[in-house]
Amino acid sequence: MRRLPVYLLIDTSGSMRGEPIESVKVGLETMVSSLRQDPFALESVNISIITFDREVKQILPLTPLDELQLPEISTPESGPTHTGQALKLLCERIDAEVRMSTPDQKGDWMPLLFIMTDGKPSDSMLYKEMIPEIKKRHFASIIACAAGMNAKTGPLKELTDEVYSLDTVDSTAFRKFFKWVSDSIGVGNRSIGATEELELPPPPPEVNVIV
Amino acid sequence: MDRKQRLASKRHVAAMRLNETSRALDRAMDKAGVPAPEKESFLNWTVDTLWNTFKEERMNQRILIENEIRRLGIRFPNGTVKKDYSVSFDLPAGKISDVELTGAEEIGLIFSIDEDGHCTLSGRPNRHGDFSLKLRFNTVEGEPASEISIPLAFNPDPRDLWKNIATDRNIPYYKEDSDEGYIMVDAGESNDPRKDIVAASQRGRSHAQEGKARDDHFSIYHCDDSDWYVMAVADGAGSARYSRKGSEVACDTVVDHCKRLLVDNPDFEKAIREYESDRDNKEKRTNVTRHVIDIIYNGALKAHEAVKKVALANEGAKLKDYATTLMFAICKKYDFGWFLASFWVGDGAMCLFDENNRTAKLLGTPDEGEFSGQTRFLTMPEIFRDPEVVSKRLRMAIVPDFTALFLMTDGISDPMFETDRNLNDYSKWEEFYNRLKTGFPEDDIEGVDLSDNNEEAAGQLLRWLDFWSPGNHDDRTIAILY
Repeated sequence: MRRLPVYLLIDTSGSMRGEPIESVKVGLETMVSSLRQDPFALESVNISIITFDREVKQILPLTPLDELQLPEISTPESGPTHTGQALKLLCERIDAEVRMSTPDQKGDWMPLLFIMTDGKPSDSMLYKEMIPEIKKRHFASIIACAAGMNAKTGPLKELTDEVYSLDTVDSTAFRKFFKWVSDSIGVGNRSIGATEELELPPPPPEVNVIV
Repeated sequence: MDRKQRLASKRHVAAMRLNETSRALDRAMDKAGVPAPEKESFLNWTVDTLWNTFKEERMNQRILIENEIRRLGIRFPNGTVKKDYSVSFDLPAGKISDVELTGAEEIGLIFSIDEDGHCTLSGRPNRHGDFSLKLRFNTVEGEPASEISIPLAFNPDPRDLWKNIATDRNIPYYKEDSDEGYIMVDAGESNDPRKDIVAASQRGRSHAQEGKARDDHFSIYHCDDSDWYVMAVADGAGSARYSRKGSEVACDTVVDHCKRLLVDNPDFEKAIREYESDRDNKEKRTNVTRHVIDIIYNGALKAHEAVKKVALANEGAKLKDYATTLMFAICKKYDFGWFLASFWVGDGAMCLFDENNRTAKLLGTPDEGEFSGQTRFLTMPEIFRDPEVVSKRLRMAIVPDFTALFLMTDGISDPMFETDRNLNDYSKWEEFYNRLKTGFPEDDIEGVDLSDNNEEAAGQLLRWLDFWSPGNHDDRTIAILY
């Protein structure tokens, strides 16, 4: 069966500790339960979560929505944000997990990527190197979210045109953001195969568009 | 001794022993230097301290066992409502007792545990949602029962979630959500049954869910004068705004074009006959090809131009807003067999199926990319700029006979064939043909009775298009010459 792979890259560096990461968890739960109400998503969406701080981990391998159970997310006390390393792992996982069409198998739909950070890449060299690699992976859409006042939108702009920001990192903001993510996944599901670009639903007021 | 006396003597012995014990305790306190007036408070303190230590020990023991159970990391996989669910796990039977799983019954599951601690939770979930079951058990006597929460999620049945919202009739280029057609061709004087065309088109669930229009289209025709059959099927691109019009214009244009060129075309008929009688003759082949290009290739080009014209007339719209695939075929029966020519751009499938000779000949190659859903459209100008367009997309054939000629959009070919390899596999086409006839009894979907002159087949085919296939909810359109 054809899957719609959705990769979520989540910043878990020290600054996310406490309320922000708890809000992210609530947001993710909201996202999953809202996606489960969408019959198309229920049959095709597959989600993977990669967290990045000093360490980069795929805490959830690409998993069908109906089997998905959200894993624990932990944050260290402090330390660097290895966003570049996260993109590197993402490319490796995409190459291993996303299926291409061959005469013997139907390929997956083009994957979606959501990346959320509250800072900037500490490994900016690697980050820059990974950008062309990411472009090669043919995402249907890459949506980047700069969360909170200290998040830098500049590096995200290099990755994608779809950059959004959240003024606050509380549960309301994240819940709204992830609800919007799930709506966007829904759109991704329906418009697949039709256009090169995905037309995203309008973001809620809490989510600012960065031009 | 009678009973009373016996009891009295027993009490006496007990009192004697107690006296002995208290005397021993007293001696021990003396030895330790406990002053007489403080003896009682010391004893109270001792008992109190030891009792607390004992309780603490007992609690620690309970916590230890609880932690051991937690460390088992019992997690229940997600289930789906109304689908059989079963999970088993093991608990350390010797360490816990009175095990129960509260909350299971309410959601339609039964929990059981055997003497070795082997547990099963099974049944048929009666509702969907996120639940928290409580595993309750006793550990150490005197300690309260322990409780561990285990989350459990049941997905809704996707089939229950689909909505069927009618398309707003006021949208530009409104189109009915489904369509069907049947062309009955009578046997005539010879009394030999002649082939009929049946076609149906159904809006996909993904569109019905949002009240969006059907983007697919078909057009079928039989010319009574010349006996040519013409059929066209087109799949308007998913989110191209006006693709429903693109597919309609494409189908109607080619059918109209073929109609005009086939109604009375003695040169073409002659070319076909001459080529048939001398198939190795290159010149004769070129001659018939020239006609085919005129009818088929020019038909496709005309369809492209016609869609473009509609797009240009609509201010603010672009040609790609009308993006559509297109496949069409013309066929005619001669005394030597069938002559057939076709054109195909995009995905889906067009196949000449012959049950007697066990062949399934694809009339072209589906345009597919590395990822699902990537394809080419009639509306892409580069299609016609490609110098190999004729060899790639045009097909011409003469066959003695065949069972059916199928034209279908990917809403059907994807779930039914999945891969390119399968599309080229005769047995898969045989399976498909049988599926058409038998339907899907497991889902209460009837088959299509493909017998001659059965006009009911159109309605049956339309209902057949409602078959269930997870993840495949695109518009579905099929035309069959049989």
